[in-house]
Amino acid sequence: MKYNSIIIGGGLAGLTSAIRCAEAGLKTALISAGDSALTFASGSIDVLGFRQNNALVDYPFEAISQLPDGHPYRKLGADQVRQSLNFFTGQMAQAGIEMSCHGQQNHSRLTALGAMRPAWLSQPGAKPLSLAEPAAGLRRVAIINIAGCRDFQPALLAAGLKKHTDFAGVELTIGDIRADTISLTARNVYELRSLEIARLLKRDLFSRPEGLTTLASAINKAAGNADLVVLPSVLAVENGNQLIHQLEAHTGLRLCELATLPPSLPGMRMASALRQRYRQLGGLLLEGDEVVSGNFDNDRLLSITTRLNPSMPLTADHFVLATGSFFSRGLDSNPSSLTDKTFNLDVVTAGQRQHWSNQHFLNGSQHPFCYFGIETNDHFNPYQEGQVIGNLYCAGAVLGGFNPVAEASAGGVAISTGWLAAKQITAQYSDVRGNHVESH
Amino acid sequence: MLNLINTSFDNCLKCTVCTTRCPVAEANPDYPGPKQAGPDGERLRIKNPQLYDEALKHCTNCKRCEVACPSGVHVGTVIQLAKARHGGFKKGPREFMLSHTDLMGSLSSPAAPIVNAMTKLKPVKKLLDKTLGIDQRRTFPKYTGETFRSWFNKQSGTQASFQRQISFFHGCFTNFNDPTVGKDLVAVLNAMNIGVSLLKKEKCCGVPLIANGFFNKARKNAELNMSQFAHSLTKTECVIATEPSCAMTLRDEYPEVLEVDNSAVKDRIFFAAAFIAREFARGNLPDMKPVPLRVAYHSPCHLIKAGGVIYTMELLNSIPGLEVIMLDQKCCGLSGTYGFKKENYRTSQSIGQGIFDQIEALDVDYVVTDCQSCKMQVEMNTDRTVLHPLTLLAQSLT
Ligand SMILES: Cc1cc2nc3c(=O)[nH]c(=O)nc-3n(C[C@H](O)[C@H](O)[C@H](O)COP(=O)(O)OP(=O)(O)OC[C@H]3O[C@@H](n4cnc5c(N)ncnc54)[C@H](O)[C@@H]3O)c2cc1C
Ligand code: SF4
Ligand code: SF4
Repeated sequence: MKYNSIIIGGGLAGLTSAIRCAEAGLKTALISAGDSALTFASGSIDVLGFRQNNALVDYPFEAISQLPDGHPYRKLGADQVRQSLNFFTGQMAQAGIEMSCHGQQNHSRLTALGAMRPAWLSQPGAKPLSLAEPAAGLRRVAIINIAGCRDFQPALLAAGLKKHTDFAGVELTIGDIRADTISLTARNVYELRSLEIARLLKRDLFSRPEGLTTLASAINKAAGNADLVVLPSVLAVENGNQLIHQLEAHTGLRLCELATLPPSLPGMRMASALRQRYRQLGGLLLEGDEVVSGNFDNDRLLSITTRLNPSMPLTADHFVLATGSFFSRGLDSNPSSLTDKTFNLDVVTAGQRQHWSNQHFLNGSQHPFCYFGIETNDHFNPYQEGQVIGNLYCAGAVLGGFNPVAEASAGGVAISTGWLAAKQITAQYSDVRGNHVESH
Repeated sequence: MLNLINTSFDNCLKCTVCTTRCPVAEANPDYPGPKQAGPDGERLRIKNPQLYDEALKHCTNCKRCEVACPSGVHVGTVIQLAKARHGGFKKGPREFMLSHTDLMGSLSSPAAPIVNAMTKLKPVKKLLDKTLGIDQRRTFPKYTGETFRSWFNKQSGTQASFQRQISFFHGCFTNFNDPTVGKDLVAVLNAMNIGVSLLKKEKCCGVPLIANGFFNKARKNAELNMSQFAHSLTKTECVIATEPSCAMTLRDEYPEVLEVDNSAVKDRIFFAAAFIAREFARGNLPDMKPVPLRVAYHSPCHLIKAGGVIYTMELLNSIPGLEVIMLDQKCCGLSGTYGFKKENYRTSQSIGQGIFDQIEALDVDYVVTDCQSCKMQVEMNTDRTVLHPLTLLAQSLT
């Protein structure tokens, strides 16, 4: 069976690529072995948050030119990175999530531990704060938990916030909403994860006409007249942003929804919006099957074989490899080497195993292994034993040459490289067919 | 012999991804979800069988958790095997009746008109509900007066005249309840110059037996089927099945769940659409006329799990004039025998609600799905007729 493009991996990078191919009218298949890192992600998108010297980045697109050679963003250039993110915001909006940003500038998003992380796009429920003055306009912040929710610790958040000098003058209060006051009739609330609370609320509270006002008055009671009310993201999986908005109208308060320990509802929301968008565009999504090998002919990948259908290779003109990093099993390591698990492409590594990481896991200095991953040319084509594979593109966390954690660049790199792969693929169709295929 | 415990569940990273996709955990808060019921629970159960949790009975074995797991843990299978090991299956007359589909079929089919009339009657339904615990709100599958095998026997001569031959594992439903899909398959393959032969004997693949804890019976069936396959594969290219759950079980569950070795034939067991799509790709395409319909496609859980959706979509897309809208990949909730049980009715209906709503909101001529159990559930809960992809393909033959 033959496709125009086959995308391997259904995370942020793979979905972005697949959506763009499908939108251009290409016969596209997306194969993903399991769910992606989006199930844990905050639901905000980082483009570039920190410089090499750990200083905060104000304007991420401007800072791209100062990144080291070989960084994926350097291959794209600031303009294309910006275009790709605009494309992404447009697609999310079509799927019902209006992402917000502070112009070209980064904002701060609050984490459940009270840290401040730079990001460029956030879901509306995240209530982005200013990067330079995150506490501007805040006199009192109320941190409210659903009593017993084990994925969120208000005291930890408060302690984290107090460490920021900006928040020195801000009064922090902690409150609880008791499960029975909002009709939660669970076996034991103390066993519940954020996802389970969301499901129970949908069934027991929001199914009732007065559900929303019941919750609103519970929030009012717990929060008083705070300038910002922080809640764990436990309220809804799908329409969480709309729900926060309605609650704001009812309470007259500004509500901020924080992603909890995994599973993260805002991340799941993003993943399901993107999948839905891809499906609407006529894309074929195959979940739970895994690409196990490729049939290469010199500089081309001709077809792939999957675990569940080993005797029927799938053929395509173009392929995108977006299989993620170690967690998603796109990359694999053993005591002496690092490999791309799918096709055994050439990877960027450095030296002996003992030099791959620092002694201390979280001491602020960078771990060399974070930069490891597939090596590519400027078009994101990988190499196999030194030979460029021209119709295969790599995207997202499987790439080497950048440090997603230390730079705060994971989401942006996934989106922009996935977008570029699709751009190059669709451009070749306009060449072949002689008519112009969409290019954003 | 050294009895090694299978500890592959230990690949679990505790990431909770599986729980986000479990339709039962979403619909029924009494179910702790795949992570806790599967790998978490397994660690405890190995230490102490007393820690077996009754709530595992809620799992429908839809395998959505396995599809979602980034670490390749066979969560659904872990749960089924734990239930088997710890006496977690209730095996009353109801379970026997619902799961022994071939026995029930051979008893009911000869008296089809009477059985069909009976199972429609309110008092009979009430009685089954009260005495057996089969929910009276369910519509029962009808039985056919002429089984697929007896229809087929009349044309085995025609089939034998083709040079290329495949073996068809028809399964219980096609044989005893509705032979349409079997007949459509024969028509499509014949149009592609391929003849169909049946196995001399076949037994239920075992899906309902596994789901109700009759593992020994399922294993016996599996052994018989495998010896039949080995025999018929000397004369035919491969064995194909039109029912996704049958195909998945014959190919993947025999070794994984029943420990029946099928390695000698495994790569020659195909889901029908996969076989046909491969023929299409090789240029063996029948002449087709347009079928100007707008249909919604529902992907069955076990077809997703077996990696077969791509082939069904390929077939549907090859039919000229057919407009296909893919529904959200959600579970319909029936899960074979699960939804027939009184205590599961609510969960089953609430799982399927998303699909029913989506179908009602779409303006389509038909719903299409590969699975007969999904068909029952969708037809009972929406006002649309549900067709098998092969039926549409057969309609497009010139
Ligand atoms: C805890 C956590 C928090 C995060 N928070 C943020 C944040 O706040 N902001 C931000 O911008 N980013 C964040 N990210 C990163 C973000 O989620 C991106 O999605 C991620 O960087 C990489 O996306 P990806 O598509 O490259 O890979 P992944 O999301 O890892 O997806 C890879 C996919 O490929 C599949 N796969 C692997 N091998 C195969 C194969 N052989 N065949 C088929 N499929 C295969 C996997 O199953 C998986 O679905 C976070 C990530 C994590 C883990
Ligand atoms: S998805 Fe897999 S690895 Fe994650 S918790 Fe479930 S079983 Fe464990
Ligand atoms: S098999 Fe289905 S019902 Fe059972 S735990 Fe997995 S997802 Fe849930």
